[in-house]
Amino acid sequence: MGVCSGGLLTLIGAGTVYPIFRFLSPLSVDSHGAKVAISLENLPEGEAKFFEFQGRAAVLIKRKNGNLSLLSAVCTHLGCIVKWEKEKEEFLCPCHGGRFSPDGTVLGGPPPKPLEQLPFVVKDGSVNVG
Amino acid sequence: MNPVTFIYDWIDRRIGLNDLTAKYLTGYLLPRNINIWYSMGSILLLIFGVQVLTGILLLVYYSPSIETAFKSITFIMNQVPFGWLIRTCHAVGANMMVLFLLIHMISVIFMGSYKAPREFNWLSGFGLLNMVFGICLTGYLLPWSQLSFWATTVATSGAGSVPFIGEYILEFVRGGKLVGAPTLGRFFVLHVIVLPAGIAGLIGIHLFLLQRTGVSTPPSYDGPVEHWKGEQYEYEKHPDGIPFFPHFLVQDLVANCIYAIFFFAIVFFVPNIFFPAEAFFPANPFETPAHIKPEWYFLPNYQVLKIFPNEFIGLIVQGIAMTFLAALPFIDIWPKRNFLKRPLFLTCVMLGIFTFIGLMIWGHFS
Repeated sequence: MGVCSGGLLTLIGAGTVYPIFRFLSPLSVDSHGAKVAISLENLPEGEAKFFEFQGRAAVLIKRKNGNLSLLSAVCTHLGCIVKWEKEKEEFLCPCHGGRFSPDGTVLGGPPPKPLEQLPFVVKDGSVNVG
Repeated sequence: MNPVTFIYDWIDRRIGLNDLTAKYLTGYLLPRNINIWYSMGSILLLIFGVQVLTGILLLVYYSPSIETAFKSITFIMNQVPFGWLIRTCHAVGANMMVLFLLIHMISVIFMGSYKAPREFNWLSGFGLLNMVFGICLTGYLLPWSQLSFWATTVATSGAGSVPFIGEYILEFVRGGKLVGAPTLGRFFVLHVIVLPAGIAGLIGIHLFLLQRTGVSTPPSYDGPVEHWKGEQYEYEKHPDGIPFFPHFLVQDLVANCIYAIFFFAIVFFVPNIFFPAEAFFPANPFETPAHIKPEWYFLPNYQVLKIFPNEFIGLIVQGIAMTFLAALPFIDIWPKRNFLKRPLFLTCVMLGIFTFIGLMIWGHFS
């Protein structure tokens, strides 16, 4: 009797807790922002375009020489979002002064590693990510 | 020593668990012939608990603005894991709350449990019924669907028929001349903060009164009962009764399980029973859907407003009916409680129930 009651209560408990746990769990990144297309027409040289890709902040830069870079915009130090400094052509993290080159290399400050580079394809005048 | 016994004893020495158990559980005696109708209150407590839990969960994803409300509901239903279950449980639970409140109220009427000295129990229950109507009305708007928008427009428009100040009341309720962003804002606050807190408080008062007065004996019982004489406060004891724990608690659990089967049968097999087609389109203030109707429990009120040529007269009739219901313990002052021995009372109650159901059916098909 006790085992049956315990088993039944466990089943009811699991049947209640599991849907709540799944309801509150972070959603799969595939469900939104899986693919992004950015038109190069709207991105002048020297400018950066910040956007959300698979639930994370990313940035596309069109350098003054016309080269493109696509990077994660999340600073590798403590996760702040980096700022693009157009004149210097480098990234600055406003939290603790970390600096990165346009290809993500650490130029100074506390970041332990470079910004993550993201793969992209240029097709029909737009950058396709993902 | 058994660790469970050790922990129990440890707590008991500090807060007197044995005393509490004896006073409120094993030593708390209920009438020997207590029946299933006495479990409606515990079913309602279960429903309220489920509504609070699912409501809190829905707030994680719901966004209360006219631009995002419908999208967030669609997102919950289609993309969040088990979102459809949480939302359907909340929507079906709201209807169950009204249904079981009505059943509870009717059973109390039939058993004469509203009579002295339980006037306050009745009044607090009546207050709860009205607050539940309020929480259902305000919650209905939140999905910001065509159904929400136009049902709220219809349901609130009655207030405008009050002479002289009707327009002002209507505008105050809606936060503007029409249902819009200010209506959603105020209904949201009422639905998630004000009314749940009010209902929880009133449930507390209702339970306190139940505990303080003692459970009423079913009218058919002829065993020893210490009835209230009316001279001073007296707790209704049941010397040969059954203990609340484990006897009545098991009966309550059985009733709760039967309710759960009924509830999940609706959730899993007819989840759209309370969602007509208009519930699946976002609100459009420039396009009124054909045959828009309020929820089933507001249909009698809706039909009364339609029957009378003047809406204000319809409101007065409803006001009289509700006042009569609230004042029932003060009107029916005779001590006799067995409805089978009260033909006039039985006729009036049955007429009232048939009128309510008849108006509901008429409202649905009109």
